[in-house]
Amino acid sequence: MNIIETSNLTKTYAGFTAVSGVNLHIPRGTVYGFLGPNGAGKSTTMKMFLGLTKPTKGDFVIDGKKFPQDRIRILKEVGSFIEAPAFYGNLTGEENLDIVRRIIGLPKSSVDDALELVGLTQWRKRLARKYSLGMKQRLGLASALIGRPPILILDEPTNGLDPVGIHEIRSLIRSLPEKFNCTVLVSSHLLPEIELMADNIGILNHGRLLFEGTLEELRRRAQAKGFPAENLEETFLALIEEDNMQRNHIR
Amino acid sequence: MNISGEYKKIKRTGILPGVFAGGILAASIPILELAVRSEQYTGLVQSPLQTILEADWQMMAMLNMLLVITASCMLYHTEYADHAIQRITTLPIREEAVFIGKFLLMTGLSIAALVMEMLSLIFCTLHWFGGEGGAYETCYGEISAGAYLEFIKDLAADFAYCLGMLIPVILLSLLIASAWKNMWIALGIDVVCVFMATIIPERYFALSIFPFALPFRILEGVSADRAVDYLIAAAAEAMIIGAAEMIFMKVRRALA
Ligand SMILES: Nc1ncnc2c1ncn2[C@@H]1O[C@H](COP(=O)(O)OP(=O)(O)OP(=O)(O)O)[C@@H](O)[C@H]1O
Ligand SMILES: [Mg+2]
Repeated sequence: MNIIETSNLTKTYAGFTAVSGVNLHIPRGTVYGFLGPNGAGKSTTMKMFLGLTKPTKGDFVIDGKKFPQDRIRILKEVGSFIEAPAFYGNLTGEENLDIVRRIIGLPKSSVDDALELVGLTQWRKRLARKYSLGMKQRLGLASALIGRPPILILDEPTNGLDPVGIHEIRSLIRSLPEKFNCTVLVSSHLLPEIELMADNIGILNHGRLLFEGTLEELRRRAQAKGFPAENLEETFLALIEEDNMQRNHIR
Repeated sequence: MNISGEYKKIKRTGILPGVFAGGILAASIPILELAVRSEQYTGLVQSPLQTILEADWQMMAMLNMLLVITASCMLYHTEYADHAIQRITTLPIREEAVFIGKFLLMTGLSIAALVMEMLSLIFCTLHWFGGEGGAYETCYGEISAGAYLEFIKDLAADFAYCLGMLIPVILLSLLIASAWKNMWIALGIDVVCVFMATIIPERYFALSIFPFALPFRILEGVSADRAVDYLIAAAAEAMIIGAAEMIFMKVRRALA
């Protein structure tokens, strides 16, 4: 059962196509890794899922619901973190989460819960403006995780974290489907990182979906094409390079 | 949620102390003026409220407007500075609701400032015009319970009128603040608008209903018809600006 499905999803900005005819299938209760180089269209796709930007063509279904008619119902189910952390600099971490909590209509205890999940409890009283980059990132994650929503959309959640933090957050994401029974869509530039977290992966390049499936399937595909298969990072790079070369030929 | 949520967001921004400081500053204008040259005014045979407002309201209204425009800019600055609004728009709430919450909050803050100013008017009236044979007595009769009531009624009408004239400014400055992510651009536009308003001659009605010119209007000393004209203009502007904001947000979302 797919909780998120897109059909021919396309986003064009003034003649430039950022996302081009993408068909994603994200199974319920799994971690889905969304992979691609800078400018591949990962954030744009995620923004469409959140109603931050409208698809130019195609559409998508989230848990049986569609934009714009089910906007509020979709957003109630989705915790999200897109690109840079977003927060009120004049409020503490705790107060920031409280604003989000009140809008979603969660109990007071959910703030403590979210702070604890991302390891921000000891800095809860500090102003978000005075947080370090990693703390801001954690605050953004806490704000996505608050209330333990059934769907999580996380855009490069480990950006700016220290190695310990990266490990913590990865383990947290890995454990979410089992612990809270939720589905996670997580983006990254790094295949090795995705490898550690995801059940399924989708590889995007220049707005097109090059591959979708499990890691095992990716390995098999690589072998069949004669790409280096023992090292998935190289597989990824080879895949992207091949696609870029084809694009240049067409041009 | 709306108004209390928006209230929580202004913590440590200085908006609240600013409103109090601004309110007290505006309230002190008639007190200072009368303390220095009460003899110019106490002899006038007209309602003391009219005397005070005609002498000082221009400056008080100017302060109120500066208060509203800076506070409005700050209200949206907290949303844009660290992209908080981006997180908010991915929550089950509409950006329109945020605007309405901010409008209600700003109206509440304006009421607080206006109340301080009205308290100052009460003090001035009683202190400088309340003596035996003073303007207060000529206007409302002997200082008795009934006279108080008449006076308070007049004061309440002035208060409501001033608030009504300020509403379009609140809406328009919030619209401008929400339209520019850079607070300084919004503030600059507002300031230009306020100064444009100060040079508009009163005799051209069509010009004097420019939103930023409305707060200079007072209820005292004008015909009831004129006063009603301005109220209708203010109400119409409030509706137009409100609708414009809703359309603006829709369009901005559609273009994103
Ligand atoms: N508002 C916009 N107007 C025009 N072009 C845009 C806009 N937003 C994104 N783009 C373009 O769309 C493409 C995809 O951007 P997107 O942010 O989705 O990439 P990404 O995969 O998230 O990259 P990164 O890994 O660097 O975050 C880029 O080429 C970008 O320049
Ligand atoms: Mg991105």
